[in-house]
This record gives sequence, C-alpha cells and structure tokens, in this order.
Amino acid sequence: MANPQDHFSVKAFKEELNANSISLAFQGVFTHDILSLIGHSLRDAPNNQIISKRLFAIAIEMAQNIHHYSAEKVYSEKDSRKIGIGIIAIGEDYKHHLISSGNYIESKDIENIIERSDFINQLDADELKEYYRAQRKAPQRKDKPGANLGFIDMVRKSGNPVEITIKDSKDEKSFFILTVRVNKEI
Amino acid sequence: MDNFHIEGSTYIPTIDFDAESGVLNIEGESYHEYTIEFFQPVFEWLEKFLSTPERDVTLNFKMTYFNTSSSRRFLEILTMLEDYQFDNNGNVEINWYYEESDIDMEESGEEYSDDVDLPFNLIPY
Repeated sequence: MANPQDHFSVKAFKEELNANSISLAFQGVFTHDILSLIGHSLRDAPNNQIISKRLFAIAIEMAQNIHHYSAEKVYSEKDSRKIGIGIIAIGEDYKHHLISSGNYIESKDIENIIERSDFINQLDADELKEYYRAQRKAPQRKDKPGANLGFIDMVRKSGNPVEITIKDSKDEKSFFILTVRVNKEI
Repeated sequence: MDNFHIEGSTYIPTIDFDAESGVLNIEGESYHEYTIEFFQPVFEWLEKFLSTPERDVTLNFKMTYFNTSSSRRFLEILTMLEDYQFDNNGNVEINWYYEESDIDMEESGEEYSDDVDLPFNLIPY
C-alpha cells in the first residue's frame, strides 16, 4: 500500500498556506453552517470590529455566489437541491486583508461578468451608492436567487476594485478567481 | 389575526410581529441563501395584516448584519409599508437601530430612509 504522504503532504500544504499568510481557507459546499463558522472566525480575529464585519460581509457574498452560480454542483440531502462548490481563502499582505474565491463558471458568462465588474470598478463612492440603490429597486432577475448587488457591495465595503482572473478557460467551463483587498487602515 | 414569530439563529433574524399593537420587530443577522423562500411567510402575513386600513404600525429593525439578498427583501417590506401609508391611511413609523460604532449599519439606515417616504428614525445604541 502506498504511503499516504506520497500523494499529499499536510506539512507542505500548511507551509504553502503560511507562505501566503492564509489564515482561513475552505473548499467544498458552502452551507449555512460553514458560513456561520467563517463569520465567527473572522469576528473573533483581532481586527478592528468594523473591518472584521466588512471581511465577513465580503466572504458571505463570495460564498453565496459560489453556492448559487458555481458550474460545479453537488446534491445536498439537507437542502434538497444542488449546491455550488468552490474555495474561499482569506490572507493578508502588509497593507491589506485579501479575500479570494475560486470556482468554475460557464465560459459563456465570462464576458458579462467582466463587463459588469469593469463598470462597477470605475464608479466613485457616490456613484456606487446610487447604483446600489437603483439596482436594489430594480425587479428581481428571473431564475436568479441573488440580489445582483454582490460586486457593488464588495467594492463599497472594501474601498477597492474587485479583481478577476480567469484560468484554464475551456469551451464550456473556466475557473473564475475573484479577489478583494480590504485596507487594514480605514 | 394571529401574531407572527420566527425564532432567529446565526443566519436568520428573529421576527416578531404583533397584530394587535402593530409592533413589528426584526432583529439579529440575516444571510439565508434563499431569502425569497425564507421571507415568503413574512410577506404573506404582512399582506393580510395590511389589508385592514388605518392601523398604527411601528417597524423596529435591529440588525447587526444582513447580506445583499436580504437587503432587497427589506426594501420590499418598507415599500409595502409605504404603499399602506398612502393607499390605506396607515400610520407607519420605522425605527432603525444600529450599534453606535457600526458606521455601515448607520449608512444602510440612511439609504433606506432616502428610498421610502416614511417617518424614519435612526437610533444608535
């Protein structure tokens, strides 16, 4: 029988997390229980309270994007429906907290997502506020459980643009990475 | 008419609606992944409650966190109350409580108060 270490080294994995200052990472199905755990863990961190709440808010919006829109889904008995899977990691650099999410999306959706994020990223604080209010008043999109406010909220809460990277783009599915930096100083 | 109650948990708010006094309380955190489904019974109760004209209604929001999806539902609730105020001679008042240091929750209250034409009190605690 092969030694499990031949396949996977927990130590190397931990070292990689440390090297990138990752304090929290979760991969899998983003159930409510997982979201609550992430919330507690962020709020117990020794940050300024308002920053902890903003980190939590951004992580929740990312997790719910994965839950609803990931192109990789698994069936959950508890929820009696299919739920998206993906990864969220929270780390830091000298000046920022960084939150990243990763999940597969339908390649045909890429253009719309990038167009939308580019538009939102160039708005100033007042324009963001007005756009958020206008979008919230607009009717709920058909067959989409989300509020269509996630990106706007992330930019407003972080004060920074949403950064999008697309990896291994294939005909049908592509890996979508979303990163938001939250300044450590308000 | 019966009162309405939902016991809150980590991701759903405690909701207490008193039909007799017209005091409606929503308190806690709200980040259910399917807010349309979660709030459906809330809207049904409100619709019935607001079919009687000229009620005194006080809505107390005391939220510590809500996601963008809940934010939409809250606007829908406020809009129902605004319609009631003008179409059914309601006497509606909104109290928006926020933790004193929570500038984001304060701003959310300010934005809602701009979105609906109702007496709207922002109350730090």
